[in-house]
Amino acid sequence: MAKILEGPAMKLFNKWGIPVPNYVVIMDPNRLSQLGEANKWLRESKLVVKAHEAIGGRYKLGLVKIGLNLEEAIEASREMIGTKIGTAEVRQVIIAEMLEHDAEFYFSIIGNKDGAELLLSNKGGVDIEENWDTVRRMFIPLDETPSIERLTELAAEAGFEGEIAERVAKISSRLILCFDNEDAQSIEINPLVIRKSDMRFAALDAVMNVDWDARFRHADWDFKPVSEIGRPYTEAEQQIMDIDSRIKGSVKFVEVPGGEVALLTAGGGASVFYADAVVARGGTIANYAEYSGDPADWAVEALTETICRLPKIKHIIVGGAIANFTDVKATFSGIINGFRESKSKGYLENVKIWVRRGGPNEAQGLAAIRQLQEEGFDIHVYDRSMPMTDIVDMAMKS
Amino acid sequence: MSILANKDTRAVIIGGVAGVNAAKRMAQFDFLINKPLTIQAFVYPPEAGQQKEIFRGGELNNIHVYGSLTPALQEHPQINTALIYIGASRGYQAAKECIEAPNIKLISMITEGIPEKDAKRLRKLALQHGKIFNGPSSIGIMSAGECRLGVIGGEFKNLKLCNLYRAGSFGVLTKSGGLSNEAMWLCAQNGDGVTSAVAIGGDSYPGTDFVTYLEMFEKDPATKAVVLIGEVGGSLEEEAAEWLGAQKRRIKLIAAIGGTCQEVLPQGMKFGHAGAKEGKKGAGSARSKMNALREAGAYVPDTFGGLSKAIKQVYQELIASGDIKQEAGIDEALLPQLPPSVQEVMRQGEVVVEPLIRTTISDDRGEEPRYSGYAASELCSKGYGIEDVIGLLWNKKLPTREESEIIKRIVMISADHGPAVSGAFGSIIAACAGIDMPQAVSAGMTMIGPRFGGAVTNAGKYFKMGVKEFPNDIPGFLAWMKENVGPVPGIGHRVKSLKNPDKRVRYLVDYVKNETSLHTPCLDFALEVEKVTTAKKDNLILNVDGTIGCILMDLDFPEHSLNGFFVLARTIGMIGHWIDQNNQNARLIRLYDYLINYAVKPERPVPEKK
Repeated sequence: MAKILEGPAMKLFNKWGIPVPNYVVIMDPNRLSQLGEANKWLRESKLVVKAHEAIGGRYKLGLVKIGLNLEEAIEASREMIGTKIGTAEVRQVIIAEMLEHDAEFYFSIIGNKDGAELLLSNKGGVDIEENWDTVRRMFIPLDETPSIERLTELAAEAGFEGEIAERVAKISSRLILCFDNEDAQSIEINPLVIRKSDMRFAALDAVMNVDWDARFRHADWDFKPVSEIGRPYTEAEQQIMDIDSRIKGSVKFVEVPGGEVALLTAGGGASVFYADAVVARGGTIANYAEYSGDPADWAVEALTETICRLPKIKHIIVGGAIANFTDVKATFSGIINGFRESKSKGYLENVKIWVRRGGPNEAQGLAAIRQLQEEGFDIHVYDRSMPMTDIVDMAMKS
Repeated sequence: MSILANKDTRAVIIGGVAGVNAAKRMAQFDFLINKPLTIQAFVYPPEAGQQKEIFRGGELNNIHVYGSLTPALQEHPQINTALIYIGASRGYQAAKECIEAPNIKLISMITEGIPEKDAKRLRKLALQHGKIFNGPSSIGIMSAGECRLGVIGGEFKNLKLCNLYRAGSFGVLTKSGGLSNEAMWLCAQNGDGVTSAVAIGGDSYPGTDFVTYLEMFEKDPATKAVVLIGEVGGSLEEEAAEWLGAQKRRIKLIAAIGGTCQEVLPQGMKFGHAGAKEGKKGAGSARSKMNALREAGAYVPDTFGGLSKAIKQVYQELIASGDIKQEAGIDEALLPQLPPSVQEVMRQGEVVVEPLIRTTISDDRGEEPRYSGYAASELCSKGYGIEDVIGLLWNKKLPTREESEIIKRIVMISADHGPAVSGAFGSIIAACAGIDMPQAVSAGMTMIGPRFGGAVTNAGKYFKMGVKEFPNDIPGFLAWMKENVGPVPGIGHRVKSLKNPDKRVRYLVDYVKNETSLHTPCLDFALEVEKVTTAKKDNLILNVDGTIGCILMDLDFPEHSLNGFFVLARTIGMIGHWIDQNNQNARLIRLYDYLINYAVKPERPVPEKK
């Protein structure tokens, strides 16, 4: 799952013939006045300025300004760029043409295991949730393209009439092409507007998710996906992601502010069960973490140090199932180094560490980490005979 | 009994190093249960034609790597299963070929990061062909006592700990690879072990679903219960619940669902497998899956920790009802031990191996090379030079300062003798023909022999013999040489003579005799010989080979090392000539006709062959 920003989405729409308003993305407000000299629409249209960042609720945060002329748009850009919202900073703004329009429509397409589903409504805009019963759906089987006639019928079912229905069908067909060819997982356009005087359509806002695993076959994907966790990534999360992209296997890390139990867990399946166990026992997790696929010891070491730096933590759960091929001795040597390094920097004071693990070279790995007891760590080490998540129960009871 | 994989399963692996590692693990399992090798062939275009060494216990098998699937299947008609390890960008094509191959019934894909669209297409294609496409991102399939596909089950020790050498009564279905192993362990601890365990992978659109496998388990009489480990996202667990509740089922279902933590996480935050994402209004949440399964009659503990108890309870119920009859198990002590490697046994001190070669000069097993025991960097830091390294490696002794100075001079005066001599000329011809440096230099090297540069050893050898056998008897020495050897090596020169002496010889002799305290019996003997031979003929002087040979004998170098000084020194010159020709971008050369006397038969007709 990789959500992409409006700018790149608009570029892909344009590529597949889905009408979009004129727009530019800038990082420097001065660039906008130069763009104004080159583009008539910037001088003559009403403009909307939006922070081009993965920040939810931009309107309420004052990061969307509408109905501006060029001068006002430059000023609005100047104000927005550099604004800090939590850990995020506005670095880019998108300036688009505000199209005077007569109606707002809703278009979306969402993948499922057999293909995708197309959704249409002629009551788009901010009230779409309330008008959800107006949405008409069509299942699109994998690798099949519905005919224009069939799409026109769907548009008619959704209440579109005459020439508009025909145009809606055509735009739907292009949306399906875009979805299919760009390895999209979902595209939502709300609203797609129409100006009836010249029958001009434009997608004013778009949310698009693409399949990041398919990037190897998209030479023109010059964007990066935005955060998948509902907020921008923190610096520590970025660092672990950078490491993740460079190694065999993987290391993952997401912060959950305020939590007291840190997770240093192995495997995509087991890690979630550890988080569940903490929550089920009334604890609060300070992070989600996962290392898997036999990653290099230095990568696990970096993950360990990152976790040790989490504020307020009282417990660290070094958990995992019985590994198939991740070497326990090697990955634990990374964890041990991370703990030692963190302790020497003053972290881990009053933090209890709970270990349970099995897998290749488990005896050596567990013996090595048990050594930390003699170095003054408050560490409790268990092997495969301890049920997987029971170390969480013990931590919460202690 | 089992599902999917059994004693008759024979597999091809599509992929490189990860696939070979999996094949090694699979062969360990074959060894444990005394089954012929499951893996039959590899398909990996970059390594087509190679063989991979796969040990089944102590038995070494060479498994062929094919460039494409078709010849592999032709050569190995017993293949009925494919495991796909190849990279994500080539995964779709590889899996498609396997699905379309008539003999292959089961395709399990281990590759991670397959685009969703590719996974969807493969699922559809497999359905059309009536094949099972398991994965992507699957750790594999294990049928206890029958077959292992992939690295599922981990290391050899774990196979025994989880009783995987014989079938139990529990089936295992998971998305996660690590949890499939954990579940097998739980079934061995709290029950009688597993029949088959299948990891379907944690992607959004797996090629199969839990229901497909539950149907198979239902039809497998040995399976009495199934442990299913699901997670938030998708609808496979709900479908399993629906299947279970639809009619009375023979098998019991125990399920654990991961992802309840998402209820308390900040909105929008999700993690775990790609497929672990909740739908709108709680659809696909861990809680709704747990409820659906409970309502359908499954045993669903609140947390993963409750799984052990649930398995134990179901196991005891099945014993009580007579569905499972407790049998005396296989004595674990009778199971084979994985043969250790030679290195492991040597570490234990349980085997003696006669070495193949012996060295007495150098060793690089430590942090850096050591020459006759001395670390190279320490020699540098203490001011030793290349002459000392020659002394250590050729003679196992550190030369004195005086000796080093002599060695250095010998190398310096022998380094090059212009382009016209055989060695340099050979290198130049090769360089002009576009030959690379090592080969061009060795073309020049080839010339070193009895007529060019190769007389040092023999000169040293015979003058030393003369010192010993004919002291003060030069005529006796010369007579013996004439009878037994021929011309005296180291005596005579094509151009130089008494009147036109070789300056290098004069310099070396002067230097050694006047500026060092070296005792020079060989050199002195050779100079005495020269006096006699030059009296006979002006050019029978002590030449540079002879001089060097004598001095080196006097320096106590081993006799057979002597030619090495010429080889070493002249290498410097030959490399120089190669560089020089290349710098000039020299063209291919050939001899002019006027430099050749064509003393051949005139042109004539070829007779008919008799």
